[in-house]
Amino acid sequence: MNLMPRRALLLLALISTSGVVAAGGPSDARKLLENMTSAMSEMTYQGTFVYVRGAVVETMRITHIADATGIRERLYSLSGPQREVVRDQNGVRCIFKDSSSVVEDQVVVSNYFPELPLSVIDSSASGYSLETGGRTRIAGHKARLVSIKPKDKFRYGYDFWLQEKTGLLLKWALLDANHEPLATLVFTELTVGSSINVAEIESDSRAEDFIKMKTFSLENTVERQSKPRWQPEKLPPGFELTSHNRKSGSDGVYEHMVYSDGLAAVSVYVEQQAPGAVIKSGVSQLGTNNAYIRKRGELQITVIGEVPALTVRTIADEMARAVASN
Amino acid sequence: MSKESLEHLSSLVDGEMSRETGLFLTRRLTADADMCDTWERYHLIRDCIRQPGSKQIVTGLCVRLMDKEEAHTQSAWQSSWRRNSWLKPVSGMAIAASVALMAIVVTAPQQEQIPGAVGDTELSAQANQPFVSPNTLPLAPKSQAVSYSASQQANLNNRLNAYLLRHNQMARTAGRQGFVSFVPIVANPTIAAAELAENESESVKSITEQEVAENK
Repeated sequence: MNLMPRRALLLLALISTSGVVAAGGPSDARKLLENMTSAMSEMTYQGTFVYVRGAVVETMRITHIADATGIRERLYSLSGPQREVVRDQNGVRCIFKDSSSVVEDQVVVSNYFPELPLSVIDSSASGYSLETGGRTRIAGHKARLVSIKPKDKFRYGYDFWLQEKTGLLLKWALLDANHEPLATLVFTELTVGSSINVAEIESDSRAEDFIKMKTFSLENTVERQSKPRWQPEKLPPGFELTSHNRKSGSDGVYEHMVYSDGLAAVSVYVEQQAPGAVIKSGVSQLGTNNAYIRKRGELQITVIGEVPALTVRTIADEMARAVASN
Repeated sequence: MSKESLEHLSSLVDGEMSRETGLFLTRRLTADADMCDTWERYHLIRDCIRQPGSKQIVTGLCVRLMDKEEAHTQSAWQSSWRRNSWLKPVSGMAIAASVALMAIVVTAPQQEQIPGAVGDTELSAQANQPFVSPNTLPLAPKSQAVSYSASQQANLNNRLNAYLLRHNQMARTAGRQGFVSFVPIVANPTIAAAELAENESESVKSITEQEVAENK
């Protein structure tokens, strides 16, 4: 009679002990990140968040709907210049009311899941170390911290606070090598599921009312080719090619490669310089993204990503023609 | 606002405008709030390019310009402004110069003279020189890694936004969760030039063969 309760107690102790060990480990962190990836694309949610970068604090609103018609998303500013990004089955549109302009990209992405499996970031060769942190409450939801620290200066670190129940992102911080925040995003209010206000997905701005910015030779459809004609001779540790598109037409050559280490991603654009364009080599910052532009004969190489300036410059400097062009 | 107007503002900020046109445009700024906001933003962009992260960047130029114009209008009314229409260009210069001086006083109090800034007593002597929009920062930038005029900067801004849109569509990673990667586009109206720190430049060269081999 006494044996059963004793066994049950032992089993309970084993479960709880293993739970404590796993709670702080990389595999547990990876599982939480996998939940986040699914939740962020497959769930319907709506909320207001604060975005802090340096001394600038801005408020924005997001409505994300995933239903039988696909994924629709609208992100817009509640403070400062009126700007919004709308994503749907027609691609992505960026409306800047402050400059009366719209930038569009009609490439449609059907798969929102990472190109690289999350297992790459908790391996010993990864450029990151993962761990789970404590629990807290954000916007009225119970949250769990997943902390990702960079092992070198080629990438940033991240802190994700995820809703325990669903894995939805409640707070996000981008961190430099010293674990100092470069930018922080935190929800002040978040509604999940059918109780959201669906009407908010509709933009009150029509793209036709704004000046469409013709920027460069981005095309709606691009040919895919297995081997890029331009490749970096060296890459920062952990980065590998995950996506490649190439187009060759009357307006010249356009090639787009994406390199990723599993968490961060860097795009490399190689294209013909636009006639009369004033291009100077160097680093520019677009929010937390760094871009490096360099000229190579008649070609322009642009490297951009949410990585340190060191990384975009390293990749740009290492770009070399891999195979002869047609 | 027309493209032509934007180009004029860019020229004004860059000091590439004749004095007469500059004065005309300055007076127009006092009557067009949108244009004045754009003019102020161009100054901000220029200052960010010259000295990213500088604490000396000045805002509120439009408000000051409007205040000066209002104060001037009131005083001019009392001194038979209408009968002396030849004073108008000079008053325009005075307004612009006083805004320039205000900016200098706020941003660089220890500097006695900054190119492009004129005192009221020197106005007549410099009447034939090109008009220079207020310099809110000293003209000795610490970083010139990338330096564009305001209109070129706006063009670069659009290009980088387009690159980033495509990047966000194509680059799917765990660290870039859906809308989060689009937040900098909504949040960030300006682009700042940056320069690698010296120690980071050295690090570029320090990717060892071993690291590259490990990567392969």
